[in-house]
Amino acid sequence: MKWLPVVRAVRVPWALVPFVALVGAPVALALATAAVLSVRDVAGRPSLAAWRAVLTEGEALGSLALSAFVATAVVALALGLALPLALALRDRVRRGIVGAALHAPLAVPAVVAAFVAFQLLTPSGIVGRWLVAAGVVGGMEGVPVVVNDRWAVGIVLAHVALAVPFLVLLLAELADSERLADLARLARTLGAGQRAVRWRVEVPVLLRAAVPQAALLWVAVLGSYEIPLLLGRQSPQMLSVLTLRTFERFDLADKPKAFVLAVLYALAVGAVLAVVLRRREAS
Amino acid sequence: MTARRLPAGLFAALVVAACAAPFAVLALLSVADGWTFSAPWLTAWRLGRWREALAGDLASSTALSVALSLAVALASTAGGLATGRAVARCRHRRAWLWMAYLPFASSPVVLSVGLVVWWIRAGWAGTLGGVALAQLVFGYAYGVVFFASFWTPRLLAYGDLVRTLGGSAVQALRLGAWPVARSAAALCLAQTFLLSWFQYGLTLVVGQGRVSTLPVRVFAYVGEADAGLAAVASLVLVGPPLAMLWLNRRLLRVGMGDGG
Repeated sequence: MKWLPVVRAVRVPWALVPFVALVGAPVALALATAAVLSVRDVAGRPSLAAWRAVLTEGEALGSLALSAFVATAVVALALGLALPLALALRDRVRRGIVGAALHAPLAVPAVVAAFVAFQLLTPSGIVGRWLVAAGVVGGMEGVPVVVNDRWAVGIVLAHVALAVPFLVLLLAELADSERLADLARLARTLGAGQRAVRWRVEVPVLLRAAVPQAALLWVAVLGSYEIPLLLGRQSPQMLSVLTLRTFERFDLADKPKAFVLAVLYALAVGAVLAVVLRRREAS
Repeated sequence: MTARRLPAGLFAALVVAACAAPFAVLALLSVADGWTFSAPWLTAWRLGRWREALAGDLASSTALSVALSLAVALASTAGGLATGRAVARCRHRRAWLWMAYLPFASSPVVLSVGLVVWWIRAGWAGTLGGVALAQLVFGYAYGVVFFASFWTPRLLAYGDLVRTLGGSAVQALRLGAWPVARSAAALCLAQTFLLSWFQYGLTLVVGQGRVSTLPVRVFAYVGEADAGLAAVASLVLVGPPLAMLWLNRRLLRVGMGDGG
């Protein structure tokens, strides 16, 4: 056992080995595979045809634009709703029936949210029936189309409904950790009115503290699959849906395009996270 | 703001109603019988669908999901506890944490497109073990992020103290850290269980449609335009998380930085 002292001298943190094998290696392998296979044709020869096709056909760029639009709209709307709710509810977020109710939507996965949104929002859905019953519209054709629609309204609404309770709870916690009550009291002592306290102290402090979670929400929505699969149109589709649809096409020549889309997604997410983290470190 | 102008009770009732709405919709659809268009309310209802669903494929999918999520959660928590400790002690802590965050920076579906190529070559695609390994990428990474902040210098020092006093490595863990780590481990177990329990896209791609977990079953029913069965399956899917909510609200706060 001459080698045993050598192994001991190296002092490998053994608990990191399974982590590298089960997390680091698969992720690196998946991303490297996508990058390599995106520059090969179906026969394995080096080729940029898939990149040329994806960047000139317009479907992928439309998909990227739609995904970025939906993600931005969801973050803006969800924060816009969650912020006043968190400030209005404050202490009630943690206790009583309001606290329990705000936690309940965290138990709803995207697949169920997509199904419920479809049942509610489709023209023949529950909201449509109530609109007809109330006489607001004459029939199914009068119900506003927000499912499989051009502006992805249904996708945005379903994501916002999932995100708002989560953000309310998060902002309430951030209000505590940022000592918002103390800051507001200090501002009032210095002569600030209720409006100034709200718009020049509470809102900026909470928004600034929530930037990392907002960026993660943006990334999560950008790569979401179940909700746009059920509530989105056939074209353009959101990035994850288009990637998987392209990957599963019968034509093998389309597979490299799916890898191009995966690389584009990774680059977009990497760029956003790099900007957010750099800004955070700079501040 | 508008919320302040409403009476507090009415405002609270609105918040509660909005949060309860998805569950009410699912409950209605699960017992609805021939709810045709323009009828604003159920015209007929039956409980038989629940019996049919639970006697059929839904029961096997539920059992499969429970087994898969438990296995992923146990492995992720145990791995996270050990690796999180090593990361906390490591000189390059930041770099290791970056590796743990990496899976969450990419969509499970997009990542699975690169992953499945290797899973097919290894013969793991379309198998329960293959899906568990793929889900472990996310679960284990979450466990490491969770426990890296849990292992504070003070907690690590408890273990060192036990070793200094002559205790073994196992005793150092059992007597030094475990009494403190127990509740955190339960929290991590519940949250990684949910990560696996809710997973759809990755399971679909890596499982090649052959590993029919509960989320896959929900989407299959939706695809068959069977809203009643999809509602029953959805309620079964949200059942365990709601039970966790009843036990402890913190269990549901996956990704809210509740670790340690």
